[in-house]
Amino acid sequence: MTTPAIDTTALTRRFGDFIAVDNVNLRVEAGQFFGFLGPNGAGKSTTIKMLTGLLAPTSGSIRILGGDLQANSAEIKRQIGVVPEGLALFGRLTADEYLQFVGRMYGLDRATTLSRTRELLEFMQLAGEQKKLITDFSHGMQKKLALAAAVIHGPKVLFLDEPFEGVDAVAAGTLKAMLLRMISRGVTIFLTSHVLEIVERLCTHIAIIHRGRLVAQGSLDELRAGAARIAQAGIQEGGAPPSEEKRSLEQIFLEIVGADREGNPAATAPEQELSWLS
Amino acid sequence: MAELTGPQSGPGSMPPIPASVQLLAVAWLRWRIFVNGMNRKRPKGTRQVAGVVFAILLRLIVWPMLATLVVAPVAGSGFFAWMAISHGHPQRLASLLLGITLLWQFVSINGLSIAATIQSFDPASLVRFPLRFGRYFVLRSLLGLMTPSTIVGCLALLAAAVGICVADASLALPALVVMAVYALMNIYLTRMIGAWMDRWLANRRFREIFSMLMALFAVSIQFLNLHRISTRAPGVRTSWLLNVLHSSGSYLYWLPSGFAAQTILLAKHPLAASVQFAGLLASTALFAAVFAIRLHKQFLGEYLSEGVSRRAQAPSAPRVKAPEPQFAARSASVASGGILSPVVAACLRKEWLILTSNGTQLIGLLTPLIFVVIFSMNRAFSSFSSKYFLPAAIAYVLIAAVSSLYNIFGADGSGVQLYLLAPVRMLDVVLAKNLMSLAIIIVQVTVAWTIICMLARTPIPVSAQISTVFWTIFVVALNLSIGTLRSIQAPRKFVPGQTRQVRGATPTNRTSSLLVLGVLFGTMLLQVPIGYASSYFGVPWLAAWIFGPLAVAAVFAYAFMLRNAERLILAARDVFAEELCKA
Repeated sequence: MTTPAIDTTALTRRFGDFIAVDNVNLRVEAGQFFGFLGPNGAGKSTTIKMLTGLLAPTSGSIRILGGDLQANSAEIKRQIGVVPEGLALFGRLTADEYLQFVGRMYGLDRATTLSRTRELLEFMQLAGEQKKLITDFSHGMQKKLALAAAVIHGPKVLFLDEPFEGVDAVAAGTLKAMLLRMISRGVTIFLTSHVLEIVERLCTHIAIIHRGRLVAQGSLDELRAGAARIAQAGIQEGGAPPSEEKRSLEQIFLEIVGADREGNPAATAPEQELSWLS
Repeated sequence: MAELTGPQSGPGSMPPIPASVQLLAVAWLRWRIFVNGMNRKRPKGTRQVAGVVFAILLRLIVWPMLATLVVAPVAGSGFFAWMAISHGHPQRLASLLLGITLLWQFVSINGLSIAATIQSFDPASLVRFPLRFGRYFVLRSLLGLMTPSTIVGCLALLAAAVGICVADASLALPALVVMAVYALMNIYLTRMIGAWMDRWLANRRFREIFSMLMALFAVSIQFLNLHRISTRAPGVRTSWLLNVLHSSGSYLYWLPSGFAAQTILLAKHPLAASVQFAGLLASTALFAAVFAIRLHKQFLGEYLSEGVSRRAQAPSAPRVKAPEPQFAARSASVASGGILSPVVAACLRKEWLILTSNGTQLIGLLTPLIFVVIFSMNRAFSSFSSKYFLPAAIAYVLIAAVSSLYNIFGADGSGVQLYLLAPVRMLDVVLAKNLMSLAIIIVQVTVAWTIICMLARTPIPVSAQISTVFWTIFVVALNLSIGTLRSIQAPRKFVPGQTRQVRGATPTNRTSSLLVLGVLFGTMLLQVPIGYASSYFGVPWLAAWIFGPLAVAAVFAYAFMLRNAERLILAARDVFAEELCKA
């Protein structure tokens, strides 16, 4: 049995009385492209912050590449890359300067840092923007730079929090190309995204979190089977039967988080509501 | 991308990153941020000329002030230390060191907002890099050493050491060593206070309490009234506070300043000096340890925002909050043919809700009025002719009040896009914002006026009151005109009530602050020759005759500005997007 890249046990995070992440047991095998889904406020970003050592869990344990995150945070941080929710770039630097700084902080020697910086800026099509400060970059450019910074040290596990949010198709294509290249070299990628088509196309395994609890985990086919069981239970309660065709991740997601029952009142709202909309 | 290898080993198999590499990387980061800040984009054409003129004016005013602020405590410390040793009052050394510490810490706490404008990254963000706690602690200790309070504090201690050396050359070595450790103690004390305040100020309630405490502190300092409280001895006027300090002199020796002073003074008795020096080292270690406790929490990952816990407390059932009955009724009456247009009424309501939900801002509005009460009660001020005191006090109230006119869109941030997208006239938006500011100014000025009239020892002549009314209208209208223009041409995003060390904690930039002071002092200075001429020629209404037409002219200037606001804002859309809409 191989060591999982990410392994959490009873991971919990409370904010006062509010339980943001509740008893989550995640297991991501090395080399998997793992999609972590959930509605807004479900606990995705909180989980990623805990997995990357930016937020301490209230209880539970986190093991990354077999090491305990709390006990070996510096060693583990060297082997992971993170594109956080807020990107956390230093706006007063140029892209070139920022990548050089990050490379040095991860212990790369000067020559390696310089060559990787050049290579990454070329790959991300940012080479022409070297004189520009990051604060003057567009959102898509900042996302590409954040990804470049997250991979400059050659991480074994990459955490991406909404990497495709607000990114145009061209930039998204560049990001996807980079991620697929990394997966082909055995890197584990842990990704959260609301763009379910992208997750469906890229991810081999998926977990769904809802109201802080992990409600599903497995490959897409396993999730389909799980969703079918839920739908079957729905028929017995008088719901509509599931369609015969192979369902999309979006349909599975909606069935699992129960959006049409409790999560999304708009789905069951009467026709006359918002009748003024033309 | 050949470097990207598959996962084959667990943590611990890589060689450690040398500390020097990471420390140098952060030093290089600070340097690049500094250099890039110098090379920022500069405006072109007339704005460039105006910028250069303002920059020169700013330097002419600020540099001498800064030089005085640096030279005075440094030279004073050296002289005082020399005096203490050479004139046989060595015990005063402890008081000097305590004074330096108090000044150092006071300036540091009050300098948080200044630091916020300079600081370009949050050092706490370094926790995401593979740092061990020890390195993070060192980095956080080193980052921010170049603040004015630290530089001046260190120079003052160095000057004190030089003063001691000049007075008694045999104390040179212990003085230098002790002052170096004492500087380190002060640095950790500053860091400790800053880190814990940052933690507490993350809580909105604490921010409000802190603002209140700072206001009370400022007020209580005024009431200490160093020269007015006399001893019982008839005819002898001495300071009550200094008496307390003298009588508590022995207790000062239990403070770090006492340990430091005693170490130097007992240098010829190694054992006694060592005990005192150990006390100084222990207090330095204590402050460093308390600072480290806070940093360790940060290092492990903590979440200071109140957003999540507030969401947890929010009731789940009613999703749409009903409008407040009084305001809803008022809005409805306005919409159905009141004085104000629905757009102006809606914008006013929004400004009102933002103001009333911000305790810190409300306290900020009260503070100048508290000081007017204090000044009015103080004999030194009340003996100043009431006809001069009234405009001076109103000018003081206006300094804070008119500052908000210079960045009316700053608090909207990216929300300003709504005004640009919605089918509204920008004129209405500007008018609503100015009306809210004007209402606040009217209330503040009226309250201040009433206080001064009630507490004035001699009645204020009607002519002086009328001229002050005209002067106030003139100044407010002038500031409205310049402020609106400045708000359009140089907007600056800021978070109202924000007191943490972040960019955007202050509503106006330095140029706007200079403009506010320039307009107020310029118009105040106008009163001097007018007042003199009025007395010389025996024409008490002269000031009113002059400021009356000026007030009318300023109101017309404001009306002209308002008429052009729409065009100016549309022309400055790119500036709005660049300054206000970026994350």
